[in-house]
Amino acid sequence: MKAFQYVTAQSVDSARDWLGPRASYLAGGNDLLARMKEYLADPDLLVNVKSIPGLADIEPGDGHWTLGAQVTIARIEQDPQIRKLFPALHEAAAEVGSLQIRNVATLGGNLAQHSRCWYYRHRDVVCLKKKGPTCFARLGENKFHSLFTGNPCISTVVSNLSIALAALGAVVLVQQGKQTVRWSIADLYAKAWDNPIAHHSLAHGDLILKVEIPVEPGRSAYGQISEKGAFDWALVSCAAAAVFDDGRVKQARIVLGAVAPVPYQVEAANDLLKGKKIDEPLAARAADRLLAGAEPLEHNGYKIPMARALIQRTLLKLMG
Amino acid sequence: MMDSKSSGNDLLSLTRRNFLKTLGTTAVGTAATQVESVAAELQKLNAETIVGPAPIPIVLQVNGQAISIEVEPRVTLLDALRNHVHLTGAKEVCDRGTCGACTVLLDGQPIYACMMLALEAQGHAITTVEGLAHEGQLNPVQQAFVECDAMMCGYCTPGFLLSITALLKRRPHPDADEVKHACAGNLCRCGTHPRIIQAALKASGVSVTSQTEVIRYADLA
Ligand SMILES: Cc1cc2nc3c(=O)[nH]c(=O)nc-3n(C[C@H](O)[C@H](O)[C@H](O)COP(=O)(O)OP(=O)(O)OC[C@H]3O[C@@H](n4cnc5c(N)ncnc54)[C@H](O)[C@@H]3O)c2cc1C
Ligand code: SF4
Ligand code: FES
Ligand code: FES
Repeated sequence: MKAFQYVTAQSVDSARDWLGPRASYLAGGNDLLARMKEYLADPDLLVNVKSIPGLADIEPGDGHWTLGAQVTIARIEQDPQIRKLFPALHEAAAEVGSLQIRNVATLGGNLAQHSRCWYYRHRDVVCLKKKGPTCFARLGENKFHSLFTGNPCISTVVSNLSIALAALGAVVLVQQGKQTVRWSIADLYAKAWDNPIAHHSLAHGDLILKVEIPVEPGRSAYGQISEKGAFDWALVSCAAAAVFDDGRVKQARIVLGAVAPVPYQVEAANDLLKGKKIDEPLAARAADRLLAGAEPLEHNGYKIPMARALIQRTLLKLMG
Repeated sequence: MMDSKSSGNDLLSLTRRNFLKTLGTTAVGTAATQVESVAAELQKLNAETIVGPAPIPIVLQVNGQAISIEVEPRVTLLDALRNHVHLTGAKEVCDRGTCGACTVLLDGQPIYACMMLALEAQGHAITTVEGLAHEGQLNPVQQAFVECDAMMCGYCTPGFLLSITALLKRRPHPDADEVKHACAGNLCRCGTHPRIIQAALKASGVSVTSQTEVIRYADLA
């Protein structure tokens, strides 16, 4: 990696002040340092955002819980209350990398991490996402790539936490210039749907401060299927959350991961569940709605039956 | 190397108040006698000061000893330990956080030393494999590795020893699945996993024989 300067920001304002055009925020470093070692990123200044007061707090609440962007994934995984109130988030956190990674990696860094497409991650390959002329995965090796996308890049969102947080209806507080904006998880990734260069909607200098998770009187679940039993990225992941009224779904959110550049949601699938009891046939129909219009490539067609099974499994898990 | 001249100027014009603020706080006016609290004070003083890209003095607390070295900000904890502190127990294999050979404990928690900047490890207690034995006595996990013959080339061994030592501290009597979970971030190219799991169980006080089934082969079929 290239030499750089380093500074620790002690406030949100100063973090943003330090962030010139050739600077990067540094959280746990698991993503950024790896990209710097591959010369995919070569910032002149790293602005450590881990010491900003308040951003490493877990704040319980009756209406919602607030997690600071600098809370580590291990803390999310190990918090017994989070496990009880937001099982989807607990399960998604427990599947992130290994304990060594979770002990250091942060919520904010997990949400803002870059694509893991193997062409993108190769220092000598200049694909569309690096402002090159073409997507190499489309005609090349695409077994880990998208079934759905709104742009020519077919890399997928890889953040486990984003999938669970989308199902839980979380709100992300982002410092943008002088103001703090409140984004849904869909907002946080919207740009990656349309724009091949984007990994998320954050502009340079935008700082994720906190994530608010509403406490809903329902249940949630997360599951993923990977090639290895542990310490592996999801081939497909699924999170779901529902509020019930007398055993029937009042409101539900189902989200698929690793099949699109964004946590993938289909309103019609959520609507289908309303007013009904979840059983196997209903879960299968919800899966049909979610997977309608999937465009498999040469090597990733297996994701369709895999996603179908995972959607059913996750929805049935909500029934306990 | 970066063009430090031009970017340095850009940075200075960017920074202003905090930079000046810190300049005012000159000497290390602290009554602290212990080196680690001096290190913590220094870190506070350095807080909003740009350091690097040239080497800067840092203090690492390694195996109970405070060690002063000079490294560039880009030097990882792994490179600092191996090349500056001359403790080569933590191994470099992938250098990308994917194999576990570089595992060390930071305040008792396993982390990948290859994915952390050395200067960010200041103020934390670092344990490497060299710090596990006491007065020539192997720790129980090391002893069990010897007795179970739990290594071949040995390259992954320091990382496994630290992951398992941390696990037994958290959970003195884990089962085989808990050992596997705790070691998921450590890979062994030689395939010694069954012996490693046996050794972990043995260190926790389970009496194991070479027949103790730690991998259910029937589940894999
Ligand atoms: C081998 C390996 C396996 C992994 N497996 C998984 C997995 O299965 N699932 C999964 O979800 N993740 C996985 N990860 C990713 C990991 O969990 C980290 O979450 C991720 O690398 C980034 O977290 P970090 O805190 O280390 O961020 P950093 O590397 O410090 O930062 C990542 C990016 O986010 C930016 N950033 C950091 N904080 C903020 C903020 N507050 N606001 C705005 N931008 C910010 C940084 O500038 C940088 O561009 C894996 C990583 C590795 C190395
Ligand atoms: S999928 Fe996206 S990141 Fe991968 S090669 Fe194509 S353009 Fe690049
Ligand atoms: S060398 Fe650090 S994880 Fe492989
Ligand atoms: S003993 Fe050789 S890598 Fe584990």
